Amino acid sequence: MSNNSQIVAPAADPYSSAKPSERAELSVIDESIRTPSIFFLISAIGWLMIGTVLALMAAFKAHEPDFLGAYEFLTFGRVRSAHLNAMALGWGSNIIFAVGLWIMARLCRSPVDHKGILMIAGVFWNIGLTIGVFGILRGDMTSVEWLEIPKYATPLLAVSYALIGVWGVMAFKFRKGDHVYVSQWYILAALFWFPWLYIVAQAMIIWFPARGVVQPLTNWWFAHNVLGLWFTPMALATAYYLIPKVLGRPIYSYYLSVLGFWALAIFYNWAGVHHLIGGPIPAWLISAGIVGSVMMVIPVIVVAINHHMTVVGAHREVWHSPTLRFIVFGALSYTLVSLIGSSMALRSVNEITHFTHFTVGHAHHGVYAFFTMIMFGGVYYMLPRLLKREWPSAGLIRIHFWGCAIGITIMVVALQAGGWIQGLQMNNASIPFLETVQNTIPWLKARSISGLFLTVGHIAFGINVFWMLFAAGAVRAKNGPTLLHKEGGVA
Amino acid sequence: MEATSYTQLLPIIILGVAFFVVTIVMLFWSAKKGHLRRFDAQAKTIFTEEEPEGEISDKFPESSKTTRGRKKNK
Repeated sequence: MSNNSQIVAPAADPYSSAKPSERAELSVIDESIRTPSIFFLISAIGWLMIGTVLALMAAFKAHEPDFLGAYEFLTFGRVRSAHLNAMALGWGSNIIFAVGLWIMARLCRSPVDHKGILMIAGVFWNIGLTIGVFGILRGDMTSVEWLEIPKYATPLLAVSYALIGVWGVMAFKFRKGDHVYVSQWYILAALFWFPWLYIVAQAMIIWFPARGVVQPLTNWWFAHNVLGLWFTPMALATAYYLIPKVLGRPIYSYYLSVLGFWALAIFYNWAGVHHLIGGPIPAWLISAGIVGSVMMVIPVIVVAINHHMTVVGAHREVWHSPTLRFIVFGALSYTLVSLIGSSMALRSVNEITHFTHFTVGHAHHGVYAFFTMIMFGGVYYMLPRLLKREWPSAGLIRIHFWGCAIGITIMVVALQAGGWIQGLQMNNASIPFLETVQNTIPWLKARSISGLFLTVGHIAFGINVFWMLFAAGAVRAKNGPTLLHKEGGVA
Repeated sequence: MEATSYTQLLPIIILGVAFFVVTIVMLFWSAKKGHLRRFDAQAKTIFTEEEPEGEISDKFPESSKTTRGRKKNK
């Protein structure tokens, strides 16, 4: 019990301590991590733009195969893989390093030391990724999905990541106070899980290839866990921190949040095997993967109850907060995409959705509608506090939100509806295969249109961020890190 | 697949078990350190003097039009 009382005793809390020497002001912490966070944010936006251009090319090529068909380095296979890596490792990981590490620093309640480590890691991460994406376009990519980056670029990525992981562990080790908020659990666990996944997958598939079915098994163990044990915990950590923070009310049930974290930690690791249903894998292993996937319903429902009950009665405030508008969209998407994902692991459903555009729609539902929207929300809260400036344009925020919300909704609906029909037709032996392919074209055109909406949203976001960063004179300066309630009053 | 070739799966099974064991050890550590008690108090630790409980800390920036209108009314 003595430990317990230490954790929550106000006197030991660096946030509320009366002694300035014990108190960690958020503004001081924000100041200390400003340079690395902004570096990662700029890098993330750069990759978001590159990834968007590559995505548009790939989307148009899917229904107009001759589009840019004369250029070897812009063939569909290369462009699609370059898009995936630019988005996953460029946008996704850089924005995690920007927002996730900022939240980690705030929750550790201590100004950031050794930010040079983060800067070095950030520079080398982006150099490694640039080499990797160029390598993919040159034709050097591997044939392993989610691990397409050529062998010569991966050590740089691994070393950069290791530096960031070391920084995370050090920040946690030297934190002030004993309490570990649930977001810290998620971030710390993800910092531990991702290098494990990446190194094991690289070793067993690329450097010392395992024989036979172990390769695809490792491949999907890695690929699915990148979503579930890297992107998901970081987005949930952001949501668990910012939903209560913005509303000024504690999370509905902290007990459920801890339960949700541990359920994710225990069950998610098994889920990736469901990608190999129907493959030459031992049946018991696939059954274990299906069980793990279905068990994920527990943390998903727990998170859904927690997030949604926290915002009940505060819908007006959610709508008037750019941060929460994006984060609540992401939280709703998490519930939906996870329940769809669990059902896709069932053999009877999987025999329809496997090898169709339904899976592509599902991946975008998770990585974009859930993860990316939450990280956008995180940026809207973080950047004014790092720069002590207001967002320059409410209009651009609205264009960003509606462009992304409409775009991703069209994409997910089109690919999943089209993919389901495609699956039913592929299972019908009386329909020629070519006809099933031709029938997907309207849905693929809808995806291209959705890409245009997303592009508009991304451009609005990029303009707003760079306007805020580099046109400081045009932006009304504020006094402190808690910008809006001090001067503008509540929404 | 022949029964003998199941040994090819050993590395990934060992890794899966190791992963699971690490998770359980961390769960045990958190229980021992008291992180699984007094949940309501722990939920409030994110609020500070700068960003206190009970106050909304984010909203859309005011447009220049709104600001001008407010100045005129004053």
